[in-house]
Amino acid sequence: MVTRSSKDTKLVVLPSRLVEQLREIAVRRGVSVSSFAAGALEQAVRVEEMEASLEETVDIFGIYEIVRGSGAVQIPRSRFSNLISELHRNNKDELMAAWEKAGRWYGEYLHARLGDGALGFLEKALRVSWNLDEVTIQNEGLIVNLRFTSFIMALELTELLVSYISGVMNALGYEAVEKSYLRGLATLSFREVPGAHDFTLA
Amino acid sequence: MLAADEDIANKIVEMAKRREWTVYQTLNEILEQALRVDGMGLFLADVVDEREMLEKAKKMGFTFTVESLLYDVVDMAYKKDKKRLSEKWLEVGRWYGKFFSSRSDDGVNAFAEAMNLLALGNSVFKIEKGKGNSVSVSCVSERFTPGFTEVYSLFMEGVFEALRMDLVNKENSDGIIRLRFQKPR
Repeated sequence: MVTRSSKDTKLVVLPSRLVEQLREIAVRRGVSVSSFAAGALEQAVRVEEMEASLEETVDIFGIYEIVRGSGAVQIPRSRFSNLISELHRNNKDELMAAWEKAGRWYGEYLHARLGDGALGFLEKALRVSWNLDEVTIQNEGLIVNLRFTSFIMALELTELLVSYISGVMNALGYEAVEKSYLRGLATLSFREVPGAHDFTLA
Repeated sequence: MLAADEDIANKIVEMAKRREWTVYQTLNEILEQALRVDGMGLFLADVVDEREMLEKAKKMGFTFTVESLLYDVVDMAYKKDKKRLSEKWLEVGRWYGKFFSSRSDDGVNAFAEAMNLLALGNSVFKIEKGKGNSVSVSCVSERFTPGFTEVYSLFMEGVFEALRMDLVNKENSDGIIRLRFQKPR
């Protein structure tokens, strides 16, 4: 609900619970509640102009914080894709091994940082950090089914990403039971390895 | 009740209409997210700035990859065919140089902005405009492999070539790129 208050301002109705929380923050930051709220509304308008939502923006920020911490960097896509295609012809095994190794490292990093939440995070992180159009991870008992789609990914990079994901899943305690992929589309199944993350003290 | 700038309030009303939400729901959602960000010890403006940078990077054709993989792949290719790889990176640099020159007066500012987006891992990038239309560029990272140092330098040389600036000084060593460019008189 919005009502006009003066020439340049309008009054907006908020639930009292939210106002109380806003008041606490405003006091902590040394600003008025109106000024803090107005700042948030301005940012929401900025995000809307990017054709995004604020919730998604905050989610993505959280994902990038973790992804960046794992050593992700941004590079020109065209050059990287060409490089991969060229190397793939003669150095396929070496490339696949490097990708799987990097995946293992990332899996260990996620496990150390997020524990049991790593698998849930992986679905969002893969979509955002590899610019995939769709990623689904379904956990069915001991089996985890993972599917990803990209409308622009070349076959070579799809194959390498499958290796990378296998490495991640391996570090998270799963072994591959099925891998099938086409250009930009992969369906993978993994089985939990009992006790993969159990450590005993000598 | 909370007082809000009329212009912003109107935009929120429009936003609510587009989403087919009530204004009350929309405000609630926005402020809940502001509280969430505060709970993360951050400022909402910083989070939105970050998103804006990511969108810009996407529009420039950048993508994420794993830093160590990038260096491994480049080194593998560099050892295999140094000449061909060098030419390719120079070519990509020239393409981006043309792209940057269409985005700002001399292209240098657009290049500096892009390099901030590109920020590879913990590398430190610095660009300075000097006297007599000169520009100094330096980029340092202990993780850069010799092959990557060389091709990354060539990428930047390609950019400045397209910006019609001559390379007048190059002092590269493993993990260190130092270049100086000058506009011809």
